Amino acid sequence: MEGGRSAFHFCFRERTGQMTGLIELKGVTKTYGAGSSAVHAFGPVSLDISEGEFISFLGPSGCGKSTLMLMIAGLLDVSAGTIALAGKDVHGPQTDIGIMFQDNTLVPWRTVRGNVELQLEMRGISLDQQADHITSLLQSVRLEDFSERHPFELSGGMQQRAAFCQAMVHNPKIVLLDEPLGKLDAMTREHIRADLQRLWMQTRSTVIFVTHSIEEAVQLSSKVAVITPRPGKIETIIDIDLPFPRDLNVKNSPKFIRYVRDIQEIFHGYGVI
Amino acid sequence: MVTASSKSEEAMLRIVHWIAESWMFIAFFAGFLLFWEFSIGFFNVPLYILTPPSMIVTKAWADLPRLFAYTYVTGLETILGYIVAIVMALPLGLAIAFSSILKRTIYPFFVTIEMVPKIAFAPIFISWLGFGLLPKVIIVFLVCFFPIVLNAILAFNSLSEELQRFSRSTGAGVWQTFIKIRLPAALPQCFVGFKYAGLNATVGAAIAEFIGSDQGLGFYIQITTGNMRPELAFAGIFFLTAIGLVLFGIITLAERLLIPWHISIRRAQS
Repeated sequence: MEGGRSAFHFCFRERTGQMTGLIELKGVTKTYGAGSSAVHAFGPVSLDISEGEFISFLGPSGCGKSTLMLMIAGLLDVSAGTIALAGKDVHGPQTDIGIMFQDNTLVPWRTVRGNVELQLEMRGISLDQQADHITSLLQSVRLEDFSERHPFELSGGMQQRAAFCQAMVHNPKIVLLDEPLGKLDAMTREHIRADLQRLWMQTRSTVIFVTHSIEEAVQLSSKVAVITPRPGKIETIIDIDLPFPRDLNVKNSPKFIRYVRDIQEIFHGYGVI
Repeated sequence: MVTASSKSEEAMLRIVHWIAESWMFIAFFAGFLLFWEFSIGFFNVPLYILTPPSMIVTKAWADLPRLFAYTYVTGLETILGYIVAIVMALPLGLAIAFSSILKRTIYPFFVTIEMVPKIAFAPIFISWLGFGLLPKVIIVFLVCFFPIVLNAILAFNSLSEELQRFSRSTGAGVWQTFIKIRLPAALPQCFVGFKYAGLNATVGAAIAEFIGSDQGLGFYIQITTGNMRPELAFAGIFFLTAIGLVLFGIITLAERLLIPWHISIRRAQS
């Protein structure tokens, strides 16, 4: 079983800071509480993410993958270690990234368009020149006919598409997606995955995608960071060497299935599945 | 798409639906009034104990000027006390929600006072301040203030973690975040307080008038009961109820206008 894994060039990258990426993590650790009752939740993790990468943080629930994402966004403090975005250390909330949270941040008192505009208004960006941009963004996720609807009038899948537009409207170079498809049914998930991939292929922004679905991670990512549970650590980083777009043909290819199986074996070894 | 004609059709359907749903209640209530009307004569109830509803209407009609004048007095006490309560409770609730010092000092103090029946203060205020408008307004204020302030604190403290993080991730300032996210998100819970206070406001006014006054519907109910005129006391109760209904109607209307998106409003309309 171990032999099968190495055949697929798993890259063990315990980097020490010589290489620079767009996002650099060095010895990032999260501990809750202090003294003898302190809970070591996450890390230490070191990782470089290059520009244009689509990297998944893949792990079971409670492994700290969302925590790691929030620390990169500057919304949670690191207990030890450093995080740098484009060479600048992260202290406090980072405003030049796009974030999609686990529960979407659509507000019920605004329409879909109004919710997308909210992101710009909060940033003090004038809406005057933005109407066409918002319209085309909504078109890209097939929501143009629902722009004047309120979130509660939409299905779960449509809500997530709207939330995606809200997270992307200010054209962030770095996008953090925290289990954006977690609460959707399998068919809707499949559908939105394809949308996500198409949009990423167009923009080639740097994406961190938090998920607990192995198949989803392999389908969407250029790299998968496999995170093991408590305290969360990156077990390995796998380059997914498959052509984009990863349509049904790719997903049924032996190579795709081998990637999935290899990751399953890692989690199996940890007793997660 | 909803068109104008289908909207009016919808309204018609809603009325038909309402009658279909509530005809039993309407029939029951009519039966209750009829029973009241005829049982007074049937059981030989003396008229100084209880009068039939028809007599309440005719006697109240004859005393309408006084009833209207007193409705104005009590209505003014109620509205003033209620408005002052909102004007003071909302900013204070906001301050307590965001100040850890106030949360450790004033907040537990308020929670303690909320346990005290505010009406019990009424005699003290009247002995201090006399029979006029002010002590009644203060008592209505006391009755209304605490539910509004406690719900406001809850409202401003319960913004979801995700929306807080979203706000921070945009780099928006405190004011921007307040106007665009915190305030609208807090309104539904604030209205819980407004409504509860609105239901209690007339109770406060009436009891304050029972204790010491020379005008108002509470005074009227007490005097007419003492004079063995139950039909007029019932008329007073009717007008007191009307004040409460108008106040509650205004609050409900404001709620529909301000938070039409909230689940409680949408459910009520569907």
